[in-house]
Amino acid sequence: MEAQRSFIGVVVKRGFQGIVAAVVMWLASRYLFHFPPVFQVMFVLYALLGTGVFILLDAPSLSPVSGIKAIALLVGFYVVVSLVFIAGASALPQYDPMVEKGKIEKIVKPKLAATEKGKIEELLKRTKELDAESQAILKRLETLGGEKAKRIEASIGGGASAGAAPRAGGGNLVALGKEQYELQECYNCHKIGGKGSVKKRGPVLDNIGNLMKTEEMKEKLLNPRAWMAEGFEKEYNKKLMPDKYKELMSDQEIDALVAYLSTLKDASVQTPKPVKKL
Amino acid sequence: MRGVLKIVLVVAGLLFIGTAVAYAQLPEPRAHEFPYLGNRGAVWVVAQLHILFAAFILGAPIFVVVSEILGWKNQDVRYERLAKEVTKVTVILYSMTALTGGLFIFVLLATYPQLTAWLINHFFAVFAVMYPLLFIFETIVLYLYWYTWDALQGPKKLRHIMLGVLLNIIGLATLIVIDGPTAFMNTPAKFAEGGMDLKTFIETTATLWDKMNNYSWWPLNIHRTVGNVVFGGFITGLIGAYLYLAAKNDEDRAFYDWFGFVGNLIGVGALLALPFAGYLLAYELCDYDASICPYMMADQLSMFFEMQGAMVGLIFLGSNYYIWLSMKRIEGLEQIRMKTTTLVLMASIPLVFMLIWTKFPIPDKFAFILPACWVALFVIAGRFLKWTVGAQTLVKVAFLMVIIGNAIWMTPHAFVATQALAPDDGSLSLPHGELSLGFVTISWGDLALMPAKNAAAFTLVFVTVVNYILYNRALRQGRITWGTIDFAAQFVLVFLAFSAIWTMTLMGAVRELTRKYFHVFNLLYDFTPESYTPTLAYSSWVFTGVTVTFYIIVSFAIVLTLRTGKEKAPAEAAKGVPAVAGAE
Ligand code: HEC
Ligand code: HEM
Repeated sequence: MEAQRSFIGVVVKRGFQGIVAAVVMWLASRYLFHFPPVFQVMFVLYALLGTGVFILLDAPSLSPVSGIKAIALLVGFYVVVSLVFIAGASALPQYDPMVEKGKIEKIVKPKLAATEKGKIEELLKRTKELDAESQAILKRLETLGGEKAKRIEASIGGGASAGAAPRAGGGNLVALGKEQYELQECYNCHKIGGKGSVKKRGPVLDNIGNLMKTEEMKEKLLNPRAWMAEGFEKEYNKKLMPDKYKELMSDQEIDALVAYLSTLKDASVQTPKPVKKL
Repeated sequence: MRGVLKIVLVVAGLLFIGTAVAYAQLPEPRAHEFPYLGNRGAVWVVAQLHILFAAFILGAPIFVVVSEILGWKNQDVRYERLAKEVTKVTVILYSMTALTGGLFIFVLLATYPQLTAWLINHFFAVFAVMYPLLFIFETIVLYLYWYTWDALQGPKKLRHIMLGVLLNIIGLATLIVIDGPTAFMNTPAKFAEGGMDLKTFIETTATLWDKMNNYSWWPLNIHRTVGNVVFGGFITGLIGAYLYLAAKNDEDRAFYDWFGFVGNLIGVGALLALPFAGYLLAYELCDYDASICPYMMADQLSMFFEMQGAMVGLIFLGSNYYIWLSMKRIEGLEQIRMKTTTLVLMASIPLVFMLIWTKFPIPDKFAFILPACWVALFVIAGRFLKWTVGAQTLVKVAFLMVIIGNAIWMTPHAFVATQALAPDDGSLSLPHGELSLGFVTISWGDLALMPAKNAAAFTLVFVTVVNYILYNRALRQGRITWGTIDFAAQFVLVFLAFSAIWTMTLMGAVRELTRKYFHVFNLLYDFTPESYTPTLAYSSWVFTGVTVTFYIIVSFAIVLTLRTGKEKAPAEAAKGVPAVAGAE
């Protein structure tokens, strides 16, 4: 009884301190440091976690139970912990597999087609696709509404990449190249138009079209040792830029990528100068 | 009867491998569709279950032998009993390892026949000779170790310990051998400096050794070995908790209280090395192909790492809370004091180390010298300054630092699934501003970078060490009555084991997912429709399912141990008397 009463006291006291801490952190993160709302929530959650921990620190001993009661307690505990973990993982932002599936399709399909077995499967599928396509065209002719046509186009293209890549329609080389840039995830190390690599892993490429000829870019992609971006000696020596593209990309894909890169001619963005190494 | 069953299981495991090797020789095997879970899900679940069992049977013997030696050297029967009871569970779980291993290769062959055949043919000596041989040796030595336990006592004890050491050598060898193909799938060996491309090299001149000795092989070996000890330690804690709950008398309660304590100590002790081993593994993966790093930390897998941060934080919170509960019941805790300098040092670490490492990124030499100087400064100051703080205060600040450390660990650049493509308006990202403290400024963006994460990891490790030092001081000066620990402590042990397993399934998935749409990274495309990254939410159901399945089986094994141990529960176990235990 005594312990219980003093525990209630602890809960009240710590709870009060916790709420004060949460409010202070929320106000500071919002008005003083201008964190966006998700981070404000994060701060408040930490304050609440801290409150819980500090209450537990001062909690009186739990009285032992045994037998069926202990087993029930255990099972209940497992259920709660499981649900909390799942809830936590589900509350975080989720990557949409559809986006990735669309990406993978574009990368892997040509490779599959290249294998002997793939060719036969492709033929079978092609017939089916042609069939579906003719159906779609028929439908489109029926309605001839611009809205609907757009929707059909989108559904054929699958979920596009998360970025602002335009659809690679009509065999436009530059658009295809931009798509390759997304597919090969160059954005994880490079920035174009302020988007990409949060850490300065590699140089920005905004003005690369003015600095490198297409042949030189191709050389860089096929063999990253051939060129070095000025000011990136350390990264160059650590061989950060992968040398796998000559194996993973076809000639056409590389040509498209290079065509896209050569359109990047924004002289207002400081882009490191390439230096010939080999 | 059960002995026979085990042997049958082990033989079945071997047969599976044999069949697999033979099957791999057949031309063009066809894939089957796995109902409900899908092919990838099926392989995922079985492989993860197998690794969990394997991790325990490899991790546990490491400290079992140490415990046996401690018991022998110090003539402390508790260590001997702990070693023996953990071994008993190990023996039971060993057959589960064989069973799930067999199932694993079987499911793999049924669902990914071409890949499996390809792998087996490329690592033929591993799958057809080394692995089965090691497996047979391991079986023999484990059963010898277990069944000669009582016979090899007294003057023959050393022989038994040698058997245990042999068991560990074979176990480690097994791990190292199978990590070869595993690591190969992540980082297939490249031909040194240009010339041949990856495919040509692997398919033509690469020797078995070339393929085994790839970038992530040793980092994986190290990380798994340490991880296995952590895992074994926490499962030992779990065993202790279960047996404590089931204990009928004070004697047993005293023993299992101590048992759980040692399990936690082992788990936490090895846990301290894990962030560094993990760092090494990540470093080597990135050294192999620098695009893996952003893929893990900033792209599709970034929220998996967010979850890992949360789990590691919870594990550190849990284990420190357990230390606190162990400490709370020590009589005379009120008199224990520590230098105020220690407290200030502890509180200063996240900020100071983050600043140092931002200025001098590891492996700059100042990245090591300056932190060492900083710690030394406080140690020296502590010699001269008389101020002290009580244990209670110190512990509270310690917990505050664990929470702050974890908060830093978990601060992402942005709350988005793909960091590099965060929305332009900054609505989900860390703000651009900075915090000015007069003499230094920290920009918010730095909180999401490696120096901050390292400082956070170091804080967690440092706080835990200080807590243990405090605990030891309390033990030396106060009196402890084993068996009287807060009942809640058993649930902390249960929680730690559960979280450790969950984290392991999470990280195992992360390593597999870094291969993206490849079976073998950059080499063998995965043409199946399931080559995409599952969502974290979906994955968390799989993690939980696997963890719970594993838990049910382990719980069953522990109950079995309990039942069979009843008849001959040694009466010479630790008495419920106060013991001044500084014996570790
Ligand atoms: C793992 C990180 C990484 C990835 C992925 C990556 N790069 Fe790079 N890249 C670098 C680094 C670092 C440099 C600067 C050092 C050097 O030149 O080698 C660089 C340099 C370059 C340069 C020269 C820039 C200059 O100003 O001289 C170009 C062009 C380039 N990369 C294009 C690409 C393209 C296209 C892709 C995608 C197919 C790509 N990179 C993928 C890290 C990366
Ligand atoms: C306290 C911190 C850490 C804990 C508790 C932890 C725990 C674990 C455990 C238990 C495993 C499974 C080992 C096995 O399969 O045998 C594992 C695997 C892994 N860890 Fe960690 N780890 C930690 C830190 C890190 C860090 C900092 C990284 C990298 C940034 C990392 C990356 C990985 C990877 C990639 C795997 C997959 C290995 C595999 O299962 O095959 N870990 N971790």
